[in-house]
Amino acid sequence: MDRRTTRSAPPAGRYRWPAIGVTLDSASPASSAPALSASGLCKRFGTVAAIAGVDLQVDAGEVRGLLGPNGAGKTTLLRMLLGLVRPDEGRIELFGQLFGPGVAPGSRRVVGFVEEPRFYPYLSARRTLELLGELDGAGGKRRVGELLGLVGLTKAAGQRVGSYSTGMRQRLGIAASLLASPRALLLDEPTSGLDPAGAREMRGVVRRLADEGVAVLLSSHDMDEVADVCDSVTILASGRVVWHGTIERLRAEAPAPEHRLETSDDAKARELGSASTALEVREDARGGLVVTAERDALDAFVLALAAEGVAVRRLDEIVSSFESMFLTLIEGAAG
Amino acid sequence: MSGRSGVWAVCRFEAAKLLAQWPTRILPLVCILGPLAFGAVLRIQSAVPQDTLFGGWVHTSGYAIPLVILSFAGAWVFPVIAGIGGGDMFAAEDRLGTWKTLLTRSSRRSEIFAGKVATACAYVVGMVALLGAASILAGVLATGTQPLVGLSGQMIGSGRALELTAASWGVSLLPALGFAALALLISAVTRSSAAGMLGPLVVALVFQLLSLVGSGDVVRALLLSSALDAWHGMFVAPAFDRPILWAAVVSLASALVFLAPAWLSLRNRDIAGTAPDERRWRRQIRVVVVATAAVALLAVASNWGPTGITEARLERSIVRSFRNLTVLQQRYLGRRVTAGAGSQMRILPSCLRQGVSTPRKGPGDDWLCTLDVFTASLAQVTVDYDVTVKANGCYTAEGPPAFIGPLTIRDRHGRPHVNPLFRFDGCFEAGP
Repeated sequence: MDRRTTRSAPPAGRYRWPAIGVTLDSASPASSAPALSASGLCKRFGTVAAIAGVDLQVDAGEVRGLLGPNGAGKTTLLRMLLGLVRPDEGRIELFGQLFGPGVAPGSRRVVGFVEEPRFYPYLSARRTLELLGELDGAGGKRRVGELLGLVGLTKAAGQRVGSYSTGMRQRLGIAASLLASPRALLLDEPTSGLDPAGAREMRGVVRRLADEGVAVLLSSHDMDEVADVCDSVTILASGRVVWHGTIERLRAEAPAPEHRLETSDDAKARELGSASTALEVREDARGGLVVTAERDALDAFVLALAAEGVAVRRLDEIVSSFESMFLTLIEGAAG
Repeated sequence: MSGRSGVWAVCRFEAAKLLAQWPTRILPLVCILGPLAFGAVLRIQSAVPQDTLFGGWVHTSGYAIPLVILSFAGAWVFPVIAGIGGGDMFAAEDRLGTWKTLLTRSSRRSEIFAGKVATACAYVVGMVALLGAASILAGVLATGTQPLVGLSGQMIGSGRALELTAASWGVSLLPALGFAALALLISAVTRSSAAGMLGPLVVALVFQLLSLVGSGDVVRALLLSSALDAWHGMFVAPAFDRPILWAAVVSLASALVFLAPAWLSLRNRDIAGTAPDERRWRRQIRVVVVATAAVALLAVASNWGPTGITEARLERSIVRSFRNLTVLQQRYLGRRVTAGAGSQMRILPSCLRQGVSTPRKGPGDDWLCTLDVFTASLAQVTVDYDVTVKANGCYTAEGPPAFIGPLTIRDRHGRPHVNPLFRFDGCFEAGP
C-alpha cells in the first residue's frame, strides 16, 4: 500500500508546521498538476550522455527517492531540476508551469542542494541565512533563529562557515533550503556527513515536511534511508530510469535478502536448509553459510536449527532486499 | 511568500559579501591613507615629481597634488581598484563552489548578473571618490589652497581650481567604470580570481604600451586608457571638453563590449560541478590566445589614422603657455608687470621634429620649438625648447638655463619658487 494514502491530506489555505513553526502556503497553485514533472530529459557533456530520456514526477506530499550508482546521472538530474544545468532536450514543469531559462527555482519555492552544500567561508552561519533570506524576499530572514535551532547550529551560529565541518555545512544547507518555505525540496544525499542522530533528525524533518504537503526528491546511496523515509523510488542507471514505483511495490518485487550465518554445525544447517523451498542455503567462500530468505522463512529456519541442536553463532543481513533489487536492476542495465 | 527579490536584493547580498572580505575592507583605508602619506612626504621634502602633469607645482598649490595623484592613479590604481571590486565577483562563486547556492534561490540569472555588476561598479565609484577626496584633502593639508597654474600657464583661482580638480576626478570615474567592466569580464570568462584581480592591471599596461607605440589616432582614441586623459582639457585656456564627451562614449562602449560576453558566459553556462583541471586549463589558454590576438591586432592597427599632434597645434599651445608663464616668472622676480603685459609680448614660434621623415607631426621626444620673443622691456630674444609631445596632446618643454634661469628662483623676499619657464607642461586638443 502506498504510504501516502495512510496520511491525511494537508488542509487548504495557510497553516503552520507545529514542530518548527515554518509557515507554509498551500493556497497556490491549487491545481492537480504534480509539484515537479520532467519528461524526456536529455543532457550530454561532450560525448557522454549524462541523462538520456528521463521522465520523472513528484507529487505534493510525496518523498521520492532517487537511487543509482555513481555516474548514473542523479546529481545531473537534480541540477537540471534546480536550473543549474540546461537540458538538451525535454521539458520540466514546476507546479504545472514550464521551468526554463529566466526562471529562478526559488521563485517557485523549489529549493535544495546538490552534492555538498557550499557557502561563503568568511560569513557566519547566521549572516549566511540572513542574506539568503533577504535574497528570497520577505519572510525568510525572520525564521533564521528557529531554523538554526532546528538543525542544531544555534551555538555555532556566530562562527564563520569556513570553520565548519562537513556535517555542520550539511545542516546549514538544510536550514538554507527550509528558509524559502519550500513547496518542493530537492536534496542530494542530505544525511551525508551527519552523525546517526543527525541523520535520523534529518529524515524526521523530511518526513514532516512531506506530511505538510511539500514534495521531496531525495537522492541517496543509503537503501535503508530510502526505505525509511521515501514513498516512492526512481532508480537511474547510465542516465536512464530503470525502475520506478512505490516503496511497497519495490518491497514486493525485491528478491529475498541475503544473510551470513555461522553455526556450530554448518553441514547439518545446509542439510536442513535444502529441505525447505522457502530459502536457499549455500556455502560462503569466506567460511560459514549464506542464507537467502524472507524474514518468516528465516525465523522458521533458525527455530529448526535450534530444534536439531545446531547453535546459531552469528546471523547478519549482508544484502537487503532493496540492495539486492538495486544490484539486479543495475546489473541488468549495464548488461 | 518568497517572491522574486530583484536586483536590489542581489546588490545588498553582494555588498555584504564584498564588505566581509579583507581585501575589499582594507582598500578604503589604503585610498584614504595613501594620498595623505604622499602629501606628508611632499611636505617634508623639496623635490617635486616633475615627470607628471602638475608635478612641478605641488609646492605652489595644494590642488596640484590631487592632480598628480590622479595622473598616476588613473593609469595604475584604478585598474587595481577595479580588479579588487570586480575581479573576484564571478570567479569567487567558482572558487567557493557557491554558484549552486546562489542560482537556486529566488533571483534570476539576469538579476544576479545585474546585481553583481551594479555592486562592483558602486564599489569602484566609492573607492575612486574616496581616493579623490583624500587626495584633495592631502593637497590642502600639505601645501594649501593657493591658486593653481594651469596647463596653458594661466592662473586658476583657488575656488575654481577646487571645482576643476573635483570635476577631473569625476570625469575619471567613467574609465574607472570601464575597467570595472573589464574586471567583471575577465572574472566571468576565466573563472579565476587571480586573473580577474590582476587582469585589469595587465590590460592597463598593454593599453599604455599601445598608446606609446602607435602614432595613429584611431586605436588610441578607442583605448580606455585614453579616456583617463579627458580631464586635461579643463585646465587649458581656452578649455576644451570634446575629450570628455569622447571619454564618456568610449567608457560606455567599452563597458558594453566587456559586459555583453560576460553576461552571455553566465547565461549559457551549466553549473555542473568542478571542471577537470584539463578543461580549466584549456579555457584559460583559450582566453590568453584570444587576448594576445586582440593585442597584436591593436598593435598593428595603432598606426592607423591621422595624428592629432601637429606643428600648428603645438605652436599655438606653447606660445600661450610661454606668454603666461613669462608673466608669472616676472611677478616672482618682483618686476612690475602690467595687466596687459602678456598680450603685449610678441612671440613667433617654429616647432619641428629633428631627424624624422615627418618633421611637422606626430608624438615624440624630438620636437624642437624655437620662440622668437619681442617685448617692450626685452630686446628680441630667441629661446629654444626641447619638447616631448605625447600622443594625448600633452607635452613637456625644457628650456636652456642661460636664458630662462635656474630651476628654482627667489622672489624679492627670498622665498624659493619653481622657475615657471625652466620646464613646463602643457596640453592641446589632440583629437582628429
